[in-house]
Formats: sequence, structure tokens, C-alpha cells
Amino acid sequence: MSALSVDALRSRFQAALEAARTPADLKTLRDEFLSRKHGLVTALVKSIASATPDEKRTLGAASNALKQEIEAALDTREAEAAASAPPKDALDVTLPGRRPFLGRRHPLTQVRERVEDIFLAMGYQVIEGPELEDDWHNFEALNMPAEHPARDMQDTLYLASPVPVPDGGRAATLLRTHTSGMQIRYMETHEPPVRVIAPGRVYRRDQFDATHTPMFTQIEGLVVDEGISLGDLRGTLNGFAEQFFGGRVATRFRPSFFPYTEPSAELDVECQGCAGKGCNLCKHTGWIEILGCGMVHPAVFEAVGYDSDKYTGFAFGVGIERLALRLYGVDDIRMFYENDLRFLEQVAL
Amino acid sequence: MKAPASWIRELAGLPTGTSAEDIAHRIAGVGFEVASIEGDTIDFEITANRPDCLSVCGLAREAATAFEVRGPGSGVRVPGSSVQGPTQPHPPPPKLTHADVSVSIDSALCARFSLATADVTVGPSPAWLAERLTACGVRPINNIVDVTNYVMLEMGQPMHAYDIAKVAGPALVARQAVAGETLTTLDGQQRTLDASMLVIADRDQVVGIAGVMGGAGSEVSSSTTHIALEAAWFQGVTVRATSKKVGLRTEASTRFERGADIGATTTAIARALELLEEIKAGRATSAITDVYPAPKVAAVIALRPSRLARLLGDCVPAADVERILGNLGFAVAQAADGWTVTVPTARVDVAREADLIEEVGRHWGVNRVRATFPALRSAPRVSDAGVLRARRLRRVLCGAGLQEAVTFTFMEAAAAAPFSDDPAALVSIANPLSEKFAVLRPSLIPGLLDSLIYNRRRGITDVRLFEAGAAFNTTGESQRVAWVLCGQRDTHWSTRAESVDLFDALGIAEVLTNGWGLTLTSVTTDQAPGFVRGRVAALLTDRRIGTVGQIDPAIAEARGLPAGVIVVAGELDLSAFTGDGGSPQRVASLPRFPAVVRDLSLVVDASLSAATVRATIRQPSGGALSALREVREFDRYQGKGIPDGKVSLAYRLTFRDAARTLTDREVDDAMTVIIAALQQECGATVRGL
Repeated sequence: MSALSVDALRSRFQAALEAARTPADLKTLRDEFLSRKHGLVTALVKSIASATPDEKRTLGAASNALKQEIEAALDTREAEAAASAPPKDALDVTLPGRRPFLGRRHPLTQVRERVEDIFLAMGYQVIEGPELEDDWHNFEALNMPAEHPARDMQDTLYLASPVPVPDGGRAATLLRTHTSGMQIRYMETHEPPVRVIAPGRVYRRDQFDATHTPMFTQIEGLVVDEGISLGDLRGTLNGFAEQFFGGRVATRFRPSFFPYTEPSAELDVECQGCAGKGCNLCKHTGWIEILGCGMVHPAVFEAVGYDSDKYTGFAFGVGIERLALRLYGVDDIRMFYENDLRFLEQVAL
Repeated sequence: MKAPASWIRELAGLPTGTSAEDIAHRIAGVGFEVASIEGDTIDFEITANRPDCLSVCGLAREAATAFEVRGPGSGVRVPGSSVQGPTQPHPPPPKLTHADVSVSIDSALCARFSLATADVTVGPSPAWLAERLTACGVRPINNIVDVTNYVMLEMGQPMHAYDIAKVAGPALVARQAVAGETLTTLDGQQRTLDASMLVIADRDQVVGIAGVMGGAGSEVSSSTTHIALEAAWFQGVTVRATSKKVGLRTEASTRFERGADIGATTTAIARALELLEEIKAGRATSAITDVYPAPKVAAVIALRPSRLARLLGDCVPAADVERILGNLGFAVAQAADGWTVTVPTARVDVAREADLIEEVGRHWGVNRVRATFPALRSAPRVSDAGVLRARRLRRVLCGAGLQEAVTFTFMEAAAAAPFSDDPAALVSIANPLSEKFAVLRPSLIPGLLDSLIYNRRRGITDVRLFEAGAAFNTTGESQRVAWVLCGQRDTHWSTRAESVDLFDALGIAEVLTNGWGLTLTSVTTDQAPGFVRGRVAALLTDRRIGTVGQIDPAIAEARGLPAGVIVVAGELDLSAFTGDGGSPQRVASLPRFPAVVRDLSLVVDASLSAATVRATIRQPSGGALSALREVREFDRYQGKGIPDGKVSLAYRLTFRDAARTLTDREVDDAMTVIIAALQQECGATVRGL
């Protein structure tokens, strides 16, 4: 075998070193060039024996320098490789972490607390009351005497037999159809000024489909003081809508009817699906109805013994499911009651 | 209420170019939602307080006011007729010579009964009349019946026509039914009546259920030649109750139950007679008989500008107040402090000043009211403790890895009964939507179990749910929190797959109660319906406040859970969770001296409860024993190396004195005493310290 020239060998080594990637590559390279038996540099040194004395001198020095150069380069690269190799006890950090279980509040709770927090910041008190109600608190004191046609607006679920209540008052005969009864309970036991919201479950004998459930969640609001006006109601609800939906959202009042408010209105917010241009979501009106409200009917004040000439007030009732449908972009209200984890785990913590 | 826009336009005097959409939009703007517009016909949703708008006249009056087409007081007029809308002063009835049917009232539930007779030729109605009825959703029958329906749609006053030949007497009386009387109504159904029902009867029998439906026996037919036209006022509550009892809602009952215009009866008859002549179907043969024992005095209400401004929060100009009320048919007179307003009899919803203010607000524009914000005049009160408690508990449970669920409060009896202490104490709903919603939940667990199964059947194996809310029995409602778990305790790749068990459920109860400052103990119980015996614990503070354990697999499988899945659950009554749990509690000062910790390994009979062993450790006293702060089980083992029927328990004891550092010697002495007690009381073998 005829030995390569020193320069040829150097460029061949440099190219091979460049291409070497792993410690095994470096080991192969060391064998190829420096092996005592068949290394290329060894062969070069051996070939010196047949050279002329002059050549021997120059070639000997050059080949020795090349050998040292190659050893040094390999040592450096091997040291680098050793330094970057993972330690024996290294962990595979690409495996998933040990996550603590963390539950989420139900979307209806999240919306409810969001509404509560907005009103808490406006100086409201959050109150609660029984889900089983008597006729007085659910209807009569709210200006809906027996056989009042407005009772048809709220198809009621009645109990098969009366159930006693904790405060020893009238026995409950029905499932409350709205949280408006809390207006009465609160006013019966507190003097004005009043500024409360009453969240809770309410019940109607309604069909069970994508837009109706026989149980849903409502937040009732009530403010009573001297000089409370419809303008105050509007300002309060505008403030609520802006904070709930974020930014300046257009609202409008439409006259409506509730037996316990006079005047009564409904609040619409501009449809955000179409920015008020009209779409399927808003039935092409550009507006979405979000709540009913009005000025407390004087008969309601009289039922609880408030001076209806001295005090005025407003009340409103907002459906949590309706807000939640809009907030989460859900089109079937039943999803809120199926508790499918694939749905519940999508909402924020 | 469906109404053709052309009819509204005609009565309101709107320009002919006014489109159905324009009319719908304006009327919607004053409080009548539009369900649909089909061609020229608008379907309005009439709120329960506005029976006057179950008529084209009523809607036309709203339209005329909304469009401001006329000056105050001009109202609504039927073109070519002597009849004005129902909220205008009623014209005197035409003077005719005799009435050949005698009329009387024998019940306070009927306040006015008017009647006239006419000779008629029965046949089909002219096309224009039939078309209007059809547009309003009323089926044309014959010219006589159609005229009565037309007047009802136009003016809101339900009417009825009798074939006089089939009326015994002929005499008609409004009276209450005698229990057991029957009537075959126009729809061919035989109805049995009771004494609460108001009826119209002839000399011999009932001929109509007042305000609901007439009888088939005196129906106008093709052979009829002589009729009696009835227009009356029946009390709404009675009509509503009767209509519900007989299961019959009609155009008439809908109007009466919400309140008919007591002033409209004679006007309606006059209008019907006019129409009969106009379509050449007949002519009057009598004067109008009007039995009206106590004529209603129109309500007069004072309206103060100050009150108007206070309620609306804005000043409506006096001219607008007068224009709006005038156009709506109210008679408005100036008074010292504002106005004196006379309410038309059709407006049964207007009884007080606030009602008038609503009328002004509707038409002036509630949407124009300037937004203000009510001032806080006193410090807000803190929210109810229960509200704060629920918020706090939810956060703890979410942090403990449970997902919040919301389940229905009512359920089928089969789901509820297994979890009820006493199935007879379940609260039933009298009129449930279906058997699926028949009883109120006696516990939150069955609803959560169903939700767990729902997820499990969709391939989700690890389910951890909780709910906070009310549970019910015949003694009332109570606030609870409950949780259910199934699947693996830990799903990490590094741990062995192990199913959750009772202790996962128990730990949640411990975290909740300890975090609230309550001391909880768990004891064996047989009083836990729905759970597996021997794998359930009663939870006690000073009384029993809940249960944890493994759900009876037979119950879970009956609800659809695949066999072999362990479900554990817990429930706490929240009445023990008083305060809000977050109020500052006094804290003990931190220990200044180090603790001494000793581990103790014992073998005892497997039947001995951990509570007994723990109590025995704590039983001795004296010396360093009074410094024993904590006794904690940290291992429990049965199997290889431990004799059958025995169990190895390991305890970690922490001693700490508040005043000084304990010596090893003192603690050794204390351990000797404890070990002696364990050997004596529990037959324990100590395996090493």
C-alpha cells in the first residue's frame, strides 16, 4: 500500500472530523488514523523507512506533527462529547409532569359569581333563600293574587304536600318560579335603603329541550331608597352590561310587563355575534334580550309594609343560563346539566 | 293576537303607505313583542295585563299614539260606522220597541248582561269579512257567527248568538251551575259542571258555559231565522278557573279571564247589528236589553308631575303627557297639582298613578330615559353567610381536585329512594313534567352518581365530581355538599394504577371540616342507605353531619354503571359549617422548643379499630405524656410475616413541651408507659421502636 501524502492525509482527517457526530464516530476516526496496526498515520510513518535521508528528515517531522495534531483534535472532540453526554442518572424531562388534580367551578357558577362580583362592587349584598316557597312570597305579595292571569307566565311546580320551613313561617307549597320572592323576604325583615341581589335555582313546569330546562338559575336584584328612578335602573344595568360583556356594549330598554314592576321593561344588548347587523343568534333583530326589570310596583311595597309614597325602587331578574350560553358559545342549554367532563374541563379555572 | 296591518291602518287612520313592518316595529317599541310577520298579518304577543289589545281597536290605538297621527282625544274610529273604539264614551243604544227574550242575572260573577234580538238569513259571509277572520286565525262558519267573531276581534268583546227557537222561555239567565248539570258544548263534547261555574241557562237547562263556550243545542244553523245576540261581562277569575277545570281555552275565555271591558257590551251589540245590516244578513227586532245592576264608575286618578319625574328620573313635557294619555283614550283634565285622569273601562290594568306613569313612559320612550346611578347612602351590608360559605367550599373542593357539577334538584323516584333514610319522607311534586322529575332529591349523591355514570359511559374512566346545594325531605330543605369519585387515584406514569377507595372520600371530608375548624371523627355505621355495609362511615362532630363510603354496586349498576367499577362518595350537611370559615381565628403562638418524634410499630388484632389504638396511646398521663401533641398512623400492613388475623400498625408520636426542651429520658419513660398500656389494653406486641 502506498502511503498518502501528509497534506492529503490532513485534509482527509479534517473532512472526516467535520463529519463525525457521535463518540462512536470519533472512536472509528481514531482507529482509522492512529491504530498501531493499520492506522493511516502509522502507515505513513512506516513508509518513511524507504525514503531518502533528506526526505526522511522532512517527512519524519511533518508526519510526527500531523500525528500530534490529529491526537489533539480527537482529544478535544472526545472531551467535548464527554462533557455534553447526559449523566447516568439523567431524567427524561420530556415525560409529562405529576399534575395535582385541580377541579374547576361549573360554568354556571362562574357566570353567577361574575355577576355577583359586579354587583358586590356596586355596593350590593348577596342574599339567599329557600327553594321551596309559599304562595305569598312567590306570588301574592308580588301583586299576583290567586287566579291572576300573569301566573300563567310562570307555569308552577307544586309540592304534593306542604313542607315546613326553618323560620316556622308559612309551609312551602311550591318550587319557587323566580328568585323575586327574596325581594319580599328581605323587605319583610329589613328597612330601606335596600341594595341586594338574590341568586338561586328556580323551577318552571317547562318543556325540556335545547332552550328550556325545568330548572334554571336566576339572579334577582332589588334597590329601594328615596328617589330611586328608572334612570338609576338604566344606569345600573348599563354598568352591569359593560362590565359583564366587556367594553362599551350598546343596550336598549323595551317596555314590557311584570306584575310586580310598574313601569316594566326588558333590557336588550347589541348582538355580539353580528355587531348589531342581524344574524341567526339574534333572530335578525341585532339585539339579544338579557333581562327583565322595572320600578317596584307600589302594591309590592304595601305588601311588605313600606311607605310607597316615600320610597321608590327598582328590581331586575337575569337568567344565568342565558348569559352563559352567550359567554361560552353553547347552543344547547342541557349541556350545563349533563356534567360531561369533556365540556366542563374546557372552561377556565 | 294576529291582526292584518291593513285593518290596524284603517282604524288608526294611518297613511296607506305605512307598511306592516313599520306598524310592527312601532307597536313592538311600546311593549308588544312581534312573534312574526307573514305578508300583511302581524302576530303580536299581548302581555297578560293588556286584554284591551286582544282587539284590533286596542292595537290601532297604540299605533295611532305611537305614530302621533292625530291630536289628543281623537282616538280610534271605525270608518263608516257610528261606533267608536271601546275606550271612547259609548253611544246610547238604538231605541227599539220591544225585547222578546227575557234576561236576568242571578250571580255576582256576572256584572252585566246585554242582549238584542234579530231576524236573520243564515249563509256564508262576504269575502272581505271571511278573509279578515282567517287572517286573525278564526275559521269562518256562517255570516251570523262570523259577525260575532268579527266584533270580538275588532273591539275585544266576546259575543254569542243563540237560535231563539231552541231557547226555552225564551229566557236567559246568568247563574251558577247546579253540581252535576251537563252541557254538550259547540265542539260536541259533553261537559259536567259544578257549582263554582258560571253558566247561561234558559228556562229548562244550561245553554252555555259563561265566557268559555256555548252549547250545541242552541247553536245557530242554516235553518235559524231568529237570533239573540249576547254580550256580557263575566268575572275573570271564574272564567279562568272554569276554563282550566273543563280544559277548554277559547278566544272568549282568554279575553274574559284577563278582564273584559264592562263598558263595551251594548256598543258591541250595536256594532254587530250594524254589520248584520251592512252584509244583508239580518236586522234588529228589539231594543238592547241591558241588565247592569251596578254600573261601574270610571276610575279617576291624580297624576303628579313630581311623581312622574321621580319614577322616570326625567321630565316629560306636559304637552307630551297630555297627548299620550289623550290618544290612548284617557280623559285628561288639568288639576292644581298636575292632572286628573279618567280611565276608560277597557283599561282594566290601570288602577293607580304608577300605571299612568308607565303609559307615559311607554310612549314617550323608556329608552330615552337618561342613565343615572343611585347614590349609596349607607354602608353596604355583608352578604349572607351561606353565600360566602358556598363560595369558600367550592374553592377548597376545586383545589382538592374535584370538578363542580350542577345536577337537577328533582329526579325519578327510583334514583332517589335508595339514598333516602325513609322513602316515605321523599318530597313529591304534584304535577311533575314527567316521572324523570317526580321527587326532590333527598341527597346530592344520586344526581352526582348519575353524572358520574354519564361520563363513565362515554369512556371517561376517572371521574371526580362535587356539588353544593339543597337536599329535601318532608321536614324541609337543608344545604349540603357531596362528592363522588371513581377510577384511578393517580394517573401518573410513575405510579401503580390503584382505584380510589373509601379513604379518598374520607380525606375530602377531613380537609373540609379541619379547614373550617371542626373536629371530625369517623365511625362504623349501619345507617347509610345506598352504601356498602362495612365500607361506610358516619361522620361526627358533636353530632352526625354526614357519611362517606363505597356506593352499593347493585344501585350503581341499576343506574347504568358497568360492573366492577368502585364508586366512593361522601356528603356533609352544612349546618355545622357556621360562620364563613374565613373570619380570623385566634392563632396559638408558635412553639419555642423543639419536638421529639418517636415511631412505634405494633401488631394487634385486625378487628381492633385504629380509633381504639389511638385512644389507648393517649390514655396515660403524667410526665412527658402531657406533652404528646400528635399521634399519626403512617403504616398499616397485613400479609407475609404477620400472623393471620393480626395487623401491623406504625405510629408516629410527637412530643413537645411549651416551656422547655424535653430530654430523651423523659420521652423514653413516656413511651414505656404507652407501650405498657398498649400491651395491656390492646394485647399489642411491640415490634420495635
